[in-house]
Amino acid sequence: MRNGTTLFLLAVTLLAFAACPPAPGAAPAALEPTDSGAPSAIVIFPVGAKPNPKAAAMQPVTFNHVVHEKWMERTGKDCIVCHHTGDAVACTTCHTQEGKLEGAHITLYDAMHATNIAPRKDNTPASCVSCHGKQLTQRDCAGCHTTLVRNARNEVWCTVCHTVTKSMTAEDMQQGIAGKLPERRNEALAAETELARKMVTYWKAAMAPQKVVIDSLAGKYEPCVFNHKSHVLSLMGRIKENKLASAFHTEPATLCVTCHHNSPASATPPKCASCHSPTIDPAAPQRPALMAAFHLQCMSCHKDMKVSRPRNTDCTTCHKLRAPERAANQAN
Amino acid sequence: MNRRKFLTILGSAGVVSALGSAKVAEASPASFPYYPDSWGVLHDTTRCIGCRRCEAACQQVNHLPEPKVPFTDLAVTEKKRHTTAYEWTVVNKYEVNGKPYFRKLQCFHCNDPACASACFARCFSKLPNGAVVYDGSQCVGCRYCMVACPFYVPGFQYDLAWDPLVQKCTFCEPRLKEGKLPGCVEACPVDALTFGRRSDLIKIARARMAENPGRYVDYLYGEYDAGGTAWMVLAPAAGGAPVPVDDPQGAGTEFKQLGLDTHLGSQPMGQLTYGALGAVPMIVAFWPVLFGGAWAMTKRREAMAKLEQEKIIKDAKDDLAAAVDAAVRKIGETEGEGAAERARQAMTEALKAREAQNSGDGHGEEK
Amino acid sequence: MDTHGIIIPTKDKLFNLEPLLSKTPGNIITWIILAVGFVITVIRFTVGIGSVTNLTEAQPWGLWIGFDLLCGVCLAAGGYFTTVACYVMGMKHFHSAVRPAVTTAFLGYAFVVVALLYDLGHPLRLPYMFFFPGTTSVLFEVGLCVATYLTVLFIEFSVAPMEWLAQKFPWLLTCRKIVIRVTILLTIFGVTLSTLHQSSLGSLYLIAPGKLHPLWYSPFMPMFFFVSSMAAGASMVIFEGLFAHKGVHQYMDATHLREADGVVLSFARAASFILFAYFMLKFIDMLVQANLPWLGTGWGAWWLVEMFGFVLLPALLYAKGARDGNVGLCRMTSVLAVAGIVLNRFNVSMIAFNWQLPSAERYFPSIWEICISIFVVTMIVTAYRFIVYNMPVLYEHPDFKGEEH
Repeated sequence: MRNGTTLFLLAVTLLAFAACPPAPGAAPAALEPTDSGAPSAIVIFPVGAKPNPKAAAMQPVTFNHVVHEKWMERTGKDCIVCHHTGDAVACTTCHTQEGKLEGAHITLYDAMHATNIAPRKDNTPASCVSCHGKQLTQRDCAGCHTTLVRNARNEVWCTVCHTVTKSMTAEDMQQGIAGKLPERRNEALAAETELARKMVTYWKAAMAPQKVVIDSLAGKYEPCVFNHKSHVLSLMGRIKENKLASAFHTEPATLCVTCHHNSPASATPPKCASCHSPTIDPAAPQRPALMAAFHLQCMSCHKDMKVSRPRNTDCTTCHKLRAPERAANQAN
Repeated sequence: MNRRKFLTILGSAGVVSALGSAKVAEASPASFPYYPDSWGVLHDTTRCIGCRRCEAACQQVNHLPEPKVPFTDLAVTEKKRHTTAYEWTVVNKYEVNGKPYFRKLQCFHCNDPACASACFARCFSKLPNGAVVYDGSQCVGCRYCMVACPFYVPGFQYDLAWDPLVQKCTFCEPRLKEGKLPGCVEACPVDALTFGRRSDLIKIARARMAENPGRYVDYLYGEYDAGGTAWMVLAPAAGGAPVPVDDPQGAGTEFKQLGLDTHLGSQPMGQLTYGALGAVPMIVAFWPVLFGGAWAMTKRREAMAKLEQEKIIKDAKDDLAAAVDAAVRKIGETEGEGAAERARQAMTEALKAREAQNSGDGHGEEK
Repeated sequence: MDTHGIIIPTKDKLFNLEPLLSKTPGNIITWIILAVGFVITVIRFTVGIGSVTNLTEAQPWGLWIGFDLLCGVCLAAGGYFTTVACYVMGMKHFHSAVRPAVTTAFLGYAFVVVALLYDLGHPLRLPYMFFFPGTTSVLFEVGLCVATYLTVLFIEFSVAPMEWLAQKFPWLLTCRKIVIRVTILLTIFGVTLSTLHQSSLGSLYLIAPGKLHPLWYSPFMPMFFFVSSMAAGASMVIFEGLFAHKGVHQYMDATHLREADGVVLSFARAASFILFAYFMLKFIDMLVQANLPWLGTGWGAWWLVEMFGFVLLPALLYAKGARDGNVGLCRMTSVLAVAGIVLNRFNVSMIAFNWQLPSAERYFPSIWEICISIFVVTMIVTAYRFIVYNMPVLYEHPDFKGEEH
């Protein structure tokens, strides 16, 4: 069906191009159209009823409808997840900055960001943030996002969604807030923004060390040889395959801060032992000691990503017993 | 020994027991103050991997006997083991919401310990550093501490004939004095045991719950249970499942699944007995009055009954004497003085014999 | 006076050991039990408690506490019950029952202490509780009261041995006079101490609400223990009479025999009232503690068996026996009542204790523990027989006959 529609739309576009004289400059690339016939992308303005002559408001959000629709299709979900009333209308029809009776006085902010949504009898609506938050529990994300990286609503992440092309004028904004921006213009702005969105290009894995020898605690066991590269590559691969992950992991260092946490993202993060002392510091008992820091980091990630091997209590898979201990053990 | 002396002794005995009960009153919760700077340990069961390193460390630093099963054998964690006189800490595996978790068992080092409250020879003390320690030199071996402990912690050296003692985790009190960590805490490879000031640990625990939504049950075991304990436990939540509405404490069944009793209440266990102990002076004071009074009333009733009886007897005797006199007079009138005198003698003797017979009938028929 | 075979020891022949040493079946069984007990005693004190008991970390108190201590103290309640009835309430017709009751009470308490020495890890340190008094402990109160009451009972009981030995040691007459003079003080002191420690045996378990089944755990356990000890005291006087009349009938004088039936009927009536009260207390407590849902469980059935079969039933039988003047029925009922009290103490200390533990970790006494308990009971019986054969307990000594006290 989709192929049919695509063909049809392609034909229409070609015809249109043939009919119209080409616009000056390069022809703008178009977004893939949606199945439903809805706009491929739209700009969601912070619509409000109050007069706002200076258009002082939050940066609007550019919403890629196509990507979301495809995901719905792939995961067997329905438009009703977002269009929870059953009518395919824009969110801002009912949810405005101030809230309206039609939207049960739920403001636009809450409708988009609420995470603790009270269950409804028939269909419980989902907000952008609640749905995105749920994605973090899937196996590929859980390793970092269960314990180590919390999906805190940091201002760094606002602009991932709250972004519009620079060609949006003040007048556009004013009209948008008032809910009077022509649909054509809206879609054009959205398409421009989305097409300009660049997927991140990560550092090449080679930039990170291939192997890391963790020997600061080696005593009974030999130092642990940690295959740094394979871990980085594995995580990179998972992000690349996931559009949501790609959108949010914008900086190369975003990937690194999972393990190299609590320090500014950098290509040369400090050593673990800089903060984690070999024995627990009674002044900061909440900070794990070095050995625990390693074990917790490795084990919790492996557990959450359902990496069954090695078992938590199987010490020698990661670090071999030293020869004398090995001999003693065999003697037993 | 005369009566007064004996009463003096008895009286001083009363004073002694009254003093004893005064001490009982003094030994309300205030006798074991809550030490704000005391140490504690936070046991995070979501971190514990059941490696038994803590058990091994405990055995080593406390010079306990070698275990029957080597510490490398992790299968024993499947059994629900208790702490014993020779294993002061054990790690057991528990199914929580269908997933395996491990919990370390050891003395909880209560703020106001049941064992200390129960010991009648004062062997246990709660130290300002948080440890509940036991001094066996005055232990009688009654094992009431073991009955009292709500966590089944103290063990007894049943195998010893000479000097069997109660044994339990000491919080590595000697090591704490040297500024070292408890053996188990030091050995834990994943910091499932966090050592710190108890007051800090509560904040840390709350912070972990807040920072990891859905990971922990929103309840810190030991914060208030049994009056508060120095060792506290965090339990894994069902994982996203909503907290049941009918569970006001929010503790869910997770703690129960971990083998922890969430129904101990928030008061120290010893307080449960203080009401009964407080009644002691009441009984000591009131019972003698009650029974002394009952005795006095009985005596009085007996005395009155006796008086009445004597009066009746006296009246009867008077009547009898009058009747005898009348009879004698009549005999004297009819048969002369001699016969009258003989009759009086015979009648008096008959009466005496009758009386003697009555009194010889044994005692105690005055029901 | 009808002495029908009472042998009264004289200055020259102080001991009447013949009935204890003769080779009757009863004596032979006694000697066997005492010999076995002696062997186990040696093992217990040379190899350790663990060698003869099934005690564990979870069950630190077993049969020796549950039976020898809890039941021993409770069943020796006849002492205070009878003395209070006779001396305080002025029921003089119980007078002949006082000495046997005081004797059994004294023996009961003395052997409670003996049995306790088996159970303690450090028996020789028992007096430590007076040097390092843990005043927050219920056990301290129990210990203090039992120790004091044992002394009181010893003084009360001492009249009998003093009368026995007075011919040989005339100075004992002065002591006897003093003791008899302070009888009422001893009685009141005794009932106060008994109230305290009988109830405190219940208070011992107040500290373990998580271990004792809710149907048995109650904040009113001290009261239940005290009230049931009264019933136990009354029942034990009847119960002992049952055996005394079988075994040492010939040592009872006419007064004792004449008053015996009256004692049985009166005590049966009293026990009936107390058991009714106890039943109501327990039942209301069960309702107040919201334990009704537990009655549907197996534990509930067991509780109902205890309450109806061993509390209400003896109460009814006692009432019937006392009303009909049926001494035989009262005596039979006393067996049931005593069994009921023992059952209650077993439930609290062993059966319903640790009810949540898996059955593999539950306690059942070892054969050796049971042997020691039998051994202790046999020692009590033997000591009782020795006293009865030699001292004026069931009869009045001719030298002191007719003295009112």
